[in-house]
Amino acid sequence: MAVCAAIVGKDNSPKYFCCINPDEELSYQYKVLSSLDIIEERLNPANKNASESKELFLGHLYSLETCKLYGYVTNTKIKLIIVVNAMNLTLKDNDIRSMFQKIHSEYADMVSNPFYIPGEPITSKLFDSTIKGIITGTV
Amino acid sequence: MNGTIENEKKNHRIDRRPIVTCAGELEVFSPIEEALSNSLPSDSCEWRRSLGRPVRNVRIEASFNPFSPAALPKPAQWDLIRKPLFHTYWTECNDVDLYKTTVREDIENWLKELSSREITDWLIVVVENFDGKRAKQLIPRTTVLDKIRADFTVKQGDRCISVINPGKAENKTAESWRGLVGRVRHLLLVAYARAVSRLEDYVRYQREKRNEPGWNFMNYFYLQEELAQVLQMLGLHDEALVQYDELDALFSQCVTNFSASNTAKWLCHFQRPLEKWHGLKLTTCRLEDSPSLLELRAYIFARQAQMLLSLKKIWDMASRCLPFLYTCVRELNILEITAPPGALWCWLFLASMEVLQACDKHNQADQVEEYSLHTASLWMYASQNLRNLAELCGLMPQSVPSSEQLHIVVSLSAGMGDNPGSGSQPSPTDRLKEVLCSQEAFIKTYLELAELAMGTFKHIGRLRMARLVGKEVASFYLLLDQTQKAAAFLGDAVRTFESDGWHELVAQTQVALADCHKKANDINKFVAACAVVSTALEMDTLIRWSYFDEMTKYLNKLDKLVNLPFNDIFKIHLVRVVGDLTMMQGDNLIVELSLESNFPKEILCSYVSLALGKEDQPNANIKYNSGKLLTNKDLKWQDPFLQRLKIEKILDYKQDKQLASSGVTTSTNVFHRKDSALALKKTDSSMTLEADKLPVLLTPGMNLIKLNRRISDIARYYLDYVDIHIDNLLLISPQLLPRITINVCEESPSVRLYKRAAPLISGIEQVMNLILTIGSYLIEPKSTIRLTSSPGLYLRIDLDQPLTNNLDIEIGDKPTFSSTKIPIRVLADLLTKEHQVTIHVPWITKPTVVSLSFSTPMSTTWRLFTVVHRKFIQVNVVGHCVDNLLVQGPDLKMKDVNISPKHTVDSSLIISNGLSYSFLWELLYQETSLNSIKTEFNLQYKLSESDSYKLYQYFFDITDYKTLYIVDAAVESAKENEFCRVGVVCHLYLSITDISPNNCENRSVMYEVLAEQNVWAVCGRTAGVVSFNSGSSDNQDVVLDVMPLTSGYLPLPLVRISKYIPAEQMSTEKNSKFDIQPKLEPFSSGQVYNKSKGKQIHVLATVSEGNS
Repeated sequence: MAVCAAIVGKDNSPKYFCCINPDEELSYQYKVLSSLDIIEERLNPANKNASESKELFLGHLYSLETCKLYGYVTNTKIKLIIVVNAMNLTLKDNDIRSMFQKIHSEYADMVSNPFYIPGEPITSKLFDSTIKGIITGTV
Repeated sequence: MNGTIENEKKNHRIDRRPIVTCAGELEVFSPIEEALSNSLPSDSCEWRRSLGRPVRNVRIEASFNPFSPAALPKPAQWDLIRKPLFHTYWTECNDVDLYKTTVREDIENWLKELSSREITDWLIVVVENFDGKRAKQLIPRTTVLDKIRADFTVKQGDRCISVINPGKAENKTAESWRGLVGRVRHLLLVAYARAVSRLEDYVRYQREKRNEPGWNFMNYFYLQEELAQVLQMLGLHDEALVQYDELDALFSQCVTNFSASNTAKWLCHFQRPLEKWHGLKLTTCRLEDSPSLLELRAYIFARQAQMLLSLKKIWDMASRCLPFLYTCVRELNILEITAPPGALWCWLFLASMEVLQACDKHNQADQVEEYSLHTASLWMYASQNLRNLAELCGLMPQSVPSSEQLHIVVSLSAGMGDNPGSGSQPSPTDRLKEVLCSQEAFIKTYLELAELAMGTFKHIGRLRMARLVGKEVASFYLLLDQTQKAAAFLGDAVRTFESDGWHELVAQTQVALADCHKKANDINKFVAACAVVSTALEMDTLIRWSYFDEMTKYLNKLDKLVNLPFNDIFKIHLVRVVGDLTMMQGDNLIVELSLESNFPKEILCSYVSLALGKEDQPNANIKYNSGKLLTNKDLKWQDPFLQRLKIEKILDYKQDKQLASSGVTTSTNVFHRKDSALALKKTDSSMTLEADKLPVLLTPGMNLIKLNRRISDIARYYLDYVDIHIDNLLLISPQLLPRITINVCEESPSVRLYKRAAPLISGIEQVMNLILTIGSYLIEPKSTIRLTSSPGLYLRIDLDQPLTNNLDIEIGDKPTFSSTKIPIRVLADLLTKEHQVTIHVPWITKPTVVSLSFSTPMSTTWRLFTVVHRKFIQVNVVGHCVDNLLVQGPDLKMKDVNISPKHTVDSSLIISNGLSYSFLWELLYQETSLNSIKTEFNLQYKLSESDSYKLYQYFFDITDYKTLYIVDAAVESAKENEFCRVGVVCHLYLSITDISPNNCENRSVMYEVLAEQNVWAVCGRTAGVVSFNSGSSDNQDVVLDVMPLTSGYLPLPLVRISKYIPAEQMSTEKNSKFDIQPKLEPFSSGQVYNKSKGKQIHVLATVSEGNS
């Protein structure tokens, strides 16, 4: 189970942020923001390894003492980021990958919603509860 | 390569060199032992391995021991590697007899011993002392070597070798020496390889048992490390690294599973409180017996690092460091190992510093990128741990360590142990101890580390990470009371967060910034920061209120204008131009602005304005909005990189219009940066729209503000930006893009000259209207309009002014858009028709030409009437004025000729338009009067009663007015006294009488009967010539035949006479060769008097008709 998930737009601004523990949200925001540096590095066309692969899952971005951050980038450069507690050793890369895929498909559904303005922060409660379900592993 | 091996040799805790035993004549061997052990690793040798692993070139070393049967390994023993592997027998014997008696037996025993242990790796070396003489005498197959070969190594020829004693004659022994070394190397490696593979098998076997109870990691660790050391000895650092990595992973896995299964009892051994936290040492390391978790981990990492350094993978080592440290922290947690407070931080700090120091050592100018990439986060981690330590020990600025904290320092320093570094470069342990002792040293070190972290992050482009470190540093500077530095770092962070659109983080950082400014007593910046915080929707309402109150409290203390971009404080939702986008100079431009205020309470804005920019021509780089409405959607900044590309097709055609190629193209977007930092321009107050009512109270949420201004200058304007003053706080919006442009145009003044409804008539002063229309701008009142008329046309404004050709009219003080009618009196000379008036105006250089057409007030014709000798002049006047003309005093003046009026002269006459009036005079002329009379007709006229009479004059000449001939005609029936009848030929008696006064010359007159064809038929000739000779009769009669064609009273046929000039006369007179024809000249009307004009004859119908 992950502790935090974020969806970051093409312009690097947050579109959706959810944190299992709301008190920690701010500190995770800083962490997620800084992970954008690494995502950008990976997406940099000069970095050959990144551009060749068609893989959306970027894998492990970086770690801090308390948490690990994973990244995923859609073809339209929407960045999904999941934060996992460092003590959580049960989550494997493949679990994270499938989590990302679920979030991606939820996001795609969200964007298809005619009442959602693309590029605006996502405020749907349903979306929020679904994402929380995904990262806590209950969906 | 050699060097590193030498280096590492020192580090070997256990000598992993294969053991080689020596038997036989040890005194022969001992002098060459050193040379042999040195030469073995000097060259590499191919190592072929099982299981399809690639062939590697390795270097092998050996340690030489005397042969002892006790030390020999048993068959099937796994740890062959630690036992003597390769066995040599040395002999110097060169006497065959001696060999047969002693040496042979000795070798036999030796080999028996070996074979009993199933050992096949041996070599017999026969050392020969080089002696040239003897060598020649030797007979083949009789040397000791031959004997040994024959006795022992029949099948394995390579197991026996001779060598010329290298100690004696160096030159010639080299080759035999090389042979020996090569043979030993090869055979040794074969033996060693077998032992290694035996060890590998055993390691594998042991690993499989890891889940069985009683298995101990440490035992296994030593086993696999042995393999690693062997590989390292062989120079295969990468494979040695793999062994350590496997150990690392196995241990991690065990610890991970510990929490889940709790089966690995051996791990409990590690679950003891941490007592020592000696710094990680990469160079020299030794694993204690019964190590603590940290010691084990540090040892494994140090070994990995050594391998990586040997492989020149310095950056791999650096990048492994952080995960390693995190793993340690995690495993301490999992195993619930307790440690004194701060001990772990100490250890983490020391470990990071150790690795950083190693990296620094290897950092080169061309590797800065790599170096930065891997060390940046390490610097950050080190600084964080140091700060944690400092907080624990009371070393932070503004705090004084308590005795308890001092005690902590002492115990921490003790736990670190001693690790003195070299003089120039203190070891991390030395540094940390120093730092823990002094606040000053701590501050210096912490800032140094943090700056390094920031610098390296920036260098590799991880700006966001650098900003996070910056934020930390800012809070530290704040503690140091260095608010300026803190503000700088926070400001950077705000900018970065803002550019990424992380508003909550911006707001949080702004809170810190506000506190920082407040601390620095920088009211201006404090108010600005408060404004931002209070409008941050992400923040808690209470916080927003408190910052809003702070802001309003300090607003009046601002000492200068503080500029602040709009950002989220105000949002423009709508901009609408009321009215047309094209407007007249001087009109009011009204713009409606829908503004969302994010302040939590109402706020009074002292001034709200919208700046206008002037634009000479459209800027290709800027988007324009063609309408007059900008909505929220339009105003949103759009990243050009994220815009849809405009793709168009291109079709290239060949000359014959066939398609040559097709493709798509995209016009490159204009790349420009988001204007985050608004360039604050000087606001020219003349170019701003102001709010209707000031001050404006903005309520939270939507506000509609109307702004207007009268625009006096002509230009193309665009709505630039909005600024809102709240006392001295000036909020400036971003530029309103896409641009709305407004064209302000002018209407230039115009001058027109209009005639009134009636046509212009010359000779009468009439009024025209000069209409001056002032346009959108004022004209200098002193300037003049000049009217210039063509000759014969005169102008004036007032009756009392003289008529002139040039009329200047001063424009005077006329308001814009006014129209003035100036009556101009014009008078054209009588009888002139076409005129021009040229109008010069001050605002255009080119004059305007107005063409005027005049008509005369009346027209006059005259006629001459003759009654034999009497002559009458009729003058006919036709009026042309639409209005009635008043005329009086008709008068005819002739020179030398008297006239008498035959009309009644009234006092005045009225001649209406199109009506004519005739006057008649008789000419009372004398015989002596001239043939031509100059005549002048005068008439007084005026258009209205009030005018004075003007003189109308008409000049004409009367010529050849005297009567020369009288023509008389009569038609009579051919029969006497009978009426003329239709169809009966009658006689036309024509009589021409010459009454000219000077009948002295011959004159010929031609007559012609011009009968109307349906009335008269002329029978026979119709014309003829009669001559009047001087002295002859004045009368000539001609009879012609005519026949009436109709009955009734018929006018007589008309007879015309003309002057006849005979041909001969003409040719002689004028000497003309061509003019041989006779010529007719008509008489003027007065010269011939036709008596019979008006005569009629009664013609009866034909008799037969009448009879029948």
